Amino acid sequence: MLNLIRKDIVLQKNTLVILLPALLIALLIDRSIIWVGVLFSFAIIMQSFALDEKPSTNLLMNSLPYTRKEIVSSKYIGACVFTFIILLTIVVGNIIIHREITQLDQLLFIAGVIVVFISFAFPFSYLFKSQYLMIACGVLFVLYLVLVNKFIPDLNDRLRAGVQTILSFDNSVLYAGGILAVVLLYMFSWMLSIRIYSRKVF
Amino acid sequence: MENVIELQNVNKAFKGFELKDMSISVKKGFVTGFIGGNGVGKSTTIKLIMNLLQPDSGEISLFGLNYKKHEKEIKQRIGFVFDHNVFYEHITLAEMKKIIKPAYKNWDDTIFYQYVNLFELPLKKPIKTFSKGMMMKASLAFALSHRAELIIMDEPTSGLDPIFRRELLDILHDLMEDEEKTIFFSTHITTDLDRIADYITFIHNGQHIFTKEHYKIEEDYAIVKGETNLLDRDTEQEFLGIRKSNHGFEALTTNKKRTANLFGDTVILEKPTLEDIMLYTKKGNDNYAKSYS
Repeated sequence: MLNLIRKDIVLQKNTLVILLPALLIALLIDRSIIWVGVLFSFAIIMQSFALDEKPSTNLLMNSLPYTRKEIVSSKYIGACVFTFIILLTIVVGNIIIHREITQLDQLLFIAGVIVVFISFAFPFSYLFKSQYLMIACGVLFVLYLVLVNKFIPDLNDRLRAGVQTILSFDNSVLYAGGILAVVLLYMFSWMLSIRIYSRKVF
Repeated sequence: MENVIELQNVNKAFKGFELKDMSISVKKGFVTGFIGGNGVGKSTTIKLIMNLLQPDSGEISLFGLNYKKHEKEIKQRIGFVFDHNVFYEHITLAEMKKIIKPAYKNWDDTIFYQYVNLFELPLKKPIKTFSKGMMMKASLAFALSHRAELIIMDEPTSGLDPIFRRELLDILHDLMEDEEKTIFFSTHITTDLDRIADYITFIHNGQHIFTKEHYKIEEDYAIVKGETNLLDRDTEQEFLGIRKSNHGFEALTTNKKRTANLFGDTVILEKPTLEDIMLYTKKGNDNYAKSYS
């Protein structure tokens, strides 16, 4: 399975070469790393996922001595590796550019958001296709707009306040609870994806 | 004799298509050609053999092992060639090798480079620039570089020019010098089989029609030509499929001896090609279906 993760990183080599310097430039002009970190991680994880989606690639992967469980698991572990690479770049970039240590809670928050995103995106993409994710996002965005306009006009402010509250939590029990919840969600999504993928016909 | 592939009463249904009670065995150390028309279930059967599909019912075992417990072990021992490109197109052959190599315990770089040289494949060009023939050669190089005991190929000769088809068959022929190796390949270019196949497995409409030693087919089957007035309700039963014209009839018999005894000198018996057998079986099945529906 390590081979599969290594394969994903090798295949994304060129993307990383473009993405990581771009990430540093983003850090240079803007200090709000959360948005940038989430966007870049999600982009590379989904790019790597989409590359393996073609029926012919599935045929190849499943003909090689790998099990379907391993193929799915490699994507979930690979997503963590990619997130780690992005976070590491942010930390190193911040030290070099701003001479400051990135706060741990910010990093954890980025990782948390990615994990939640992936937990929904992967099973969805295994069930349908990752290209439909954009459509799903579009539909969700419309729902969000309806929500903001009709029901909760200050949703944006509430979200922003929510994020600030989470980041300002000092209570380590709450923190641990949050991490545990996110990890459980990821695990559940992982198992679900294995179930979906093992029934797939190429 | 040991069987490398064994399918027992395998059923698999899709919308509008069904493999019915398929039982096939492939003998170790021989080349088995897998024939049948388009859409009769050849690719589905191959996918079942490679665990790319799971059967609805029935047993599939390779090397005497089943996929439930020994999936990776079985796949380690198989080399595969598909009729279309399954490799990443944007990377080079050298990069693709780096991805495939660590998957196999018995990978041997020397063998790989030997084939790359033999096939004159460029290591540094993206795979998408490869022609159909080069793609097939690349597939073959990958399939042969990990000392696979069983080579499974789905239509490896389709879309290839006659010269490369010959080359490919020669390579397979050389490969068979090693008595431990087994080749199972599907094709609808039946002349390929005349050159190398020891056994022929024939399927039609999702059903196994026969698996025979290649030379035995000529002993059992024959094309029968004669005057149309020889045919009546009884004698027609002798044949699998019949084609009538103004000049007489042409039909396929599955029991050459009995037909020869029955008709004597009134008919001419000829050696059938595999294509004849495929054609008449289809004809026979269609008629059978018509008369019973």
